[in-house]
Amino acid sequence: MKFMKQQKKFESREQQQVSETSSQQKTSSREFASVEELLRYDAKQTTVPPGIAQRLGQSLQKEPRPARSWWRRWFR
Amino acid sequence: MDSSLTERPSLDQPRSDLVSEEFADLYQNHSREIYYLTLRLLGDVHKAEDATHDVFLKACRKWDTFRGESSYRTWLYRIAINHCSNLRQSWSNRHLVTNVDEAVWEGATASGDSPLRVLEMKELGDRIQKTLDELSEEYRLLLLLIADEELSYEEIGTLTEQSPDAVRGKLHRARKMFAAMFEQHQ
Repeated sequence: MKFMKQQKKFESREQQQVSETSSQQKTSSREFASVEELLRYDAKQTTVPPGIAQRLGQSLQKEPRPARSWWRRWFR
Repeated sequence: MDSSLTERPSLDQPRSDLVSEEFADLYQNHSREIYYLTLRLLGDVHKAEDATHDVFLKACRKWDTFRGESSYRTWLYRIAINHCSNLRQSWSNRHLVTNVDEAVWEGATASGDSPLRVLEMKELGDRIQKTLDELSEEYRLLLLLIADEELSYEEIGTLTEQSPDAVRGKLHRARKMFAAMFEQHQ
């Protein structure tokens, strides 16, 4: 009886491991319907490095002030 | 993000701050697509960082020349495409860059419409980059632009200086070539 319980426990643990493995495989594989879908996914996964904004901020501070403000374009 | 790009000054503040406010919105709304385009066109994270910085700096300098005839998105794409093209031109003068001959792929069995199976997501970016690098510069650019859902065939035609029909035809071939090469990098 004790042996059967242990065996069941072992079998369920084994089944759990199999299902974990297959779910890991599922998460690492994927099918894309088109090239566009693949590239859109890739773009969404890509993060913009925060250093760019910092550098840009520093560069803009060194820029001379504009001769004419952007909003004046609306009153020409 | 740097505070100079995120501050929201009031209308009483100096005009340079007003430019900063408008420009911060521009950067927040479009930096992702510009960074992605430069990353995949240049194939290098550091070069893409430099290029994205330079594109937005040029945009700021040209701020007064923007006439609203196109969207900010296509305006920025235009600056980015020219910038990357100039960079690649200067490299190709020093290093001969060759793309795979299109004729080789004419008879490719993979269709651009068939699903693309990816077994290992970890290396997906590298695989996409390798595949894009093997395409001609024009095909690479067309695929990257059509992947932006907000761009129409007309806008892509304007950006690449050709008719929307020409864009459609070339994209058909570009998808097919991409799919065939992508399969090979499995």
